[in-house]
Amino acid sequence: MGLLLNLSLLLPLLSAVVLWFAPLNRHQVRRFALGVTLVTLLLVIIVTAGYPAQPLEGESVYASSEWSWLGGVGFAEMDVRYSVGLDGLGLWLYALSGLLMVTAVLVSWESVKERAGLFYGLLLLLETGCLGVFCARDIILFYVFFEFTLIPLFFLIGIWGSEDRRRAANKFFLYTLAGSVLTFLGLMSIVLLHWAHSGQLTFSIELLTEALRENPLTLTYQRIIFLALLAGFAIKIPIFPFHTWLPLAHVQAPTAGSVLLAGIMLKIGTYGFVRFNLPMLPDATVQWMPCLLWLSVAGIIYGALVALVQWDMKRLIAYSSVSHLGFCTLGLFSVNRLGIEGAALQMINHGISTGALFAIVGMIYERYHTREIRQLAGLAAKTPWLAFFMLLFTLSSIGLPGLNGFTGEFLILLGVFQRAWNHADAHVGGQLTVIAILAVFGVVLGAWYMLSLMQRLFFGRLQEPDQEHSDQLATNIRDLSWREFAALAPLAVMVFWIGLQPGFFLSRIDRTLTTIIEPAEESVSRVFQASNRNARRFPVESVKSKSGGSGT
Amino acid sequence: MSYCLATIHPIALIPALPLLATILTALLGARYLKRLSHWPVMVATAVSFLLSAMLLVQTHQSTANDHQQADSGEIVTLWSWVHVQDAYQAVPSSERETEDLRIDVVLRVDGLTVVMLTMVTFVSLLVTIFAAGYMHDDPGYWRFFTYIGLFIFSMTMLISVNNFVLLFVFWEAVGMCSYLLIGFWYQKPEAAAAGKKAFLVNRVGDFGFLLALFLIWSTYGTLNYYGTEGARGVLDSSLPLGEASGLLICLLLMLGACGKSAQFPLHIWLPDAMEGPTPVSALIHAATMVTAGIYMVTRCWPLFAASEEAQLAVACIGGFTALLAGLIALTQFDLKRVLAYSTISQLGYMFLALGTGSRAGIVAGMFHLVTHAFFKALLFLGSGSVMHATGTVDMRQFGGLRSRLRITHITFLIGCLALSGFPLLAGFWSKDAILTAVYERSVVPSYAGFYTTLFWVATFTALLTAIYTFRAFFLTFYGPAQHPSEAGESPHESPASMWIPLAILAIGSCLIGLVHHPLEHVLLQTPSLTGLDVTEVGHVAWIPLMSALVALAGIGLAGWFYLRGGELLDRITGLLKRCGLYQLSEEKFYLDTLYWGFIIWPLRCMALICYAVDRWIIDYLVDFCGRCPRSFGSLMRSLQMGLTSFYALAMVLGLLVLMAARLLSQLT
Repeated sequence: MGLLLNLSLLLPLLSAVVLWFAPLNRHQVRRFALGVTLVTLLLVIIVTAGYPAQPLEGESVYASSEWSWLGGVGFAEMDVRYSVGLDGLGLWLYALSGLLMVTAVLVSWESVKERAGLFYGLLLLLETGCLGVFCARDIILFYVFFEFTLIPLFFLIGIWGSEDRRRAANKFFLYTLAGSVLTFLGLMSIVLLHWAHSGQLTFSIELLTEALRENPLTLTYQRIIFLALLAGFAIKIPIFPFHTWLPLAHVQAPTAGSVLLAGIMLKIGTYGFVRFNLPMLPDATVQWMPCLLWLSVAGIIYGALVALVQWDMKRLIAYSSVSHLGFCTLGLFSVNRLGIEGAALQMINHGISTGALFAIVGMIYERYHTREIRQLAGLAAKTPWLAFFMLLFTLSSIGLPGLNGFTGEFLILLGVFQRAWNHADAHVGGQLTVIAILAVFGVVLGAWYMLSLMQRLFFGRLQEPDQEHSDQLATNIRDLSWREFAALAPLAVMVFWIGLQPGFFLSRIDRTLTTIIEPAEESVSRVFQASNRNARRFPVESVKSKSGGSGT
Repeated sequence: MSYCLATIHPIALIPALPLLATILTALLGARYLKRLSHWPVMVATAVSFLLSAMLLVQTHQSTANDHQQADSGEIVTLWSWVHVQDAYQAVPSSERETEDLRIDVVLRVDGLTVVMLTMVTFVSLLVTIFAAGYMHDDPGYWRFFTYIGLFIFSMTMLISVNNFVLLFVFWEAVGMCSYLLIGFWYQKPEAAAAGKKAFLVNRVGDFGFLLALFLIWSTYGTLNYYGTEGARGVLDSSLPLGEASGLLICLLLMLGACGKSAQFPLHIWLPDAMEGPTPVSALIHAATMVTAGIYMVTRCWPLFAASEEAQLAVACIGGFTALLAGLIALTQFDLKRVLAYSTISQLGYMFLALGTGSRAGIVAGMFHLVTHAFFKALLFLGSGSVMHATGTVDMRQFGGLRSRLRITHITFLIGCLALSGFPLLAGFWSKDAILTAVYERSVVPSYAGFYTTLFWVATFTALLTAIYTFRAFFLTFYGPAQHPSEAGESPHESPASMWIPLAILAIGSCLIGLVHHPLEHVLLQTPSLTGLDVTEVGHVAWIPLMSALVALAGIGLAGWFYLRGGELLDRITGLLKRCGLYQLSEEKFYLDTLYWGFIIWPLRCMALICYAVDRWIIDYLVDFCGRCPRSFGSLMRSLQMGLTSFYALAMVLGLLVLMAARLLSQLT
């Protein structure tokens, strides 16, 4: 399995080089790219399917392989390794990356006409980055892949984007880079502090997690490093108010760029947070939990409200992303098994539904050359299959039970509620309750803007944009072609699969989370004990905390 | 194959068959089945109905001695939906009690479930047969039956599952079917808007429902109704019932029920939902889906039983909604909307009955649910038949149809009589049972005043019911014969596939009133309801008499106004118009406007403000930060002006500053 995993990383990379230098025409290029992504998907599926349903003895990482990479450079002890492997957290994101890449190639089939070799090459390069970031087991390697995803997307937006593409690409690149530099500093300081403490210089994520669990950093260090890491992740996710690059980038990006940006790139932030902040900096996480939860819920409500008044389809869905990722971070920051598990599932769900929604919007754009909602109406009459898929992914995105979105949202909200209800400190508990109620209200708002979009675009009397060449346009509008159908159908299958049998996915996430959450949970209970002591000192407080903490 | 079928429990087959039919119709409908698309759903529903009836008979036969069996119920586990280990922790303490979050797809058979199942599958079957005629020329024929099949599947699952989460899952699923079916004619902007409105108003109810779920989880650490292997149940009497959170859970659940069962303040979606095809109105918006709220409250009765305030809230919402909807129905001219408001009103009646909290009340509520399903489905299908003939539901545009639509006329009359509580027809019995239950509750000292008021409100609503029902009946079938021009020369009676269901429902509406006691027997085998106190109070003789008189008075008044007294009616309407009361009723008490003004519009404004903030403040700050390095750079660049003398001056100045600093530091 380790070999196949490495192959799935290497294949797109090599093919990208081939695409840049081989003299192929546009048709050959796209067929070649599709072939490569399909083969990679096959490898990804084989690797994913091999993931053991039951835990193996003493092995936390699956399909791992490693070589010394930068060993002995500079310092004798330094040992940066090329070390990859999957665990429950990365597994489904890795699989999702493989799946969405095929969709990305298929939706670009007709729309990319210039410099196709470069385009598909960059796309494949991006695939390596996305797949790699979720299976890197070494901090340096993680960071390499982390940044690796940035550059291809910068060019994809900057070259093949819409009218304002240069500004969008610059903003996207500089903003995320600024954050991720801080993240790098944070990661390095973890390594160095560990080195100073134990005399062992390691970059392995496993070893560091393990070591920091036994000897946690002091609270001051934890706080500083937490903020440094958060800087990069918060911009990447993006957490409100660091989201403004996202709508711009989404609107300007080519369809494939939007699909991958929403589907995978945003998840790197949340993934990084679960991978590093939670297990390595548990005390700081717990301490800033209320604050981060407030930001998350602000993102949920704010993103939903702003999406409500958008007239640009892509921008609407971009803001819906802000709202949905608010749910994701809400689950993460609730520092609660249910919440984090829900968030891990929500990452996948959001990737599928929002990726698909961007693909559909791209298909509408290809037909009508407009993103303005006001210019279109009643498309269901002309394109019933497109309407069907739009409805399906809309319902999935607003969390209709039985489809994928619901499970994640439900677990997240359940987790937050439990955190709020069982929180010993009445003051914090009360805050958390308000947060949880607001988040549930966000679910109502989410249905509002998505169903409005659906109603305006697809229902009512048919209305098409009036352009000079409208007569020629109107006759050319077709329902989904087989290619477009193939781009959406696998995602639709996933929507139903995750919706009907989330247990299958959760059971594989569950195991890894145990080790990740435990430090934070211990930290939470330490805080509880502290606040219980306070409660004993002030009897009034104790009454409050009892009534806020338990209803029985 | 036969072996396989024999081993599957009927409770699993009842939803499975409609699901299979749905998949079949969805896959083959457009290409192959076409005009035959109704067959899979019809056959599946028929079989499901037979199976449900079989289960009903079985449950009825199991005697009261089998209470132990009734307690455990018959349980079929399908698959595990979610299983998270150690998910629940009781309030943090040194010994960590943990509980798994375990949601299995479990179906269970008990009294409440089989009663609902039989009713749902029966009405579904008749409506499917009716729709085969009604939707005959529609281009979306197969799509219609796909949605209907999906709905029957979801509804049967909703009433069979053993878990709050799955209840919510199918609660939403029927909501989605309703959304799809209201917006079935999606080219009509009104239909699309009505579908969205229904979904969103229901979402507000779901907001309450979800919060209740979370609260139940946080309080009890489980989401099952009743205990299964390896999991406890919320409704098992063994669990402690919280007081404050218990009331909160009930109120939140009630908010959810208000959404689905169209109770004040969330009733506004149901009248608009009439934009959908009429069979859908009959099936979903009268007989089945809207009763889900009643079902849920009945199912959760142990939670409500713990607090009298919760019961009072249920009763008040029900009573108030019944009155409000009755008042609005008086002035509507759209036949289907009159029926929609009547549905809201009757659902209010059911909630009122549940709110009494007594055994008689709950049985009366469920009884009314069953009888109402018959006569309201009958009335809706009848209005469908009228619409089929005349092409409109505006009562001002037609009249005197009795000679043209003979069968529809007779069956509609039976439906109207049953609805208004004419003696010995279905509605009479169930309404009487409800009034009796409320009266008995008002004798009990706690909150007696409220219940006495509610009793008179309910009686007055019964009068209103008779009036608006027969107003609609007389306007449609009596008066000068007229019909809109687009109906052609003469409106014709509907085909057999449409009038046969009408006839069956009409017969049912006459006879269903007899099932009160068997129904009670079956219902009391539900674990939720076994704990009810069994204090039998003798029948209060004057209540049936009064309710019969009220019904007759209402019918008489309507006849007087709409058959003879045109002038009198005008004078009364004129008077009411001068007081503004008429407009209040006609404009549905301005609730839609109020919601628009106080919720939707402010939210939209807030959204615009947020967008402005996003655009001009947050993003501007980001850009500002991005511009800082460059501005700083250009500031510095202006110093590099290439004048050697300036550089020399700067050097000297710098040196001086350094020396001064040095001197100062030495001095101090």
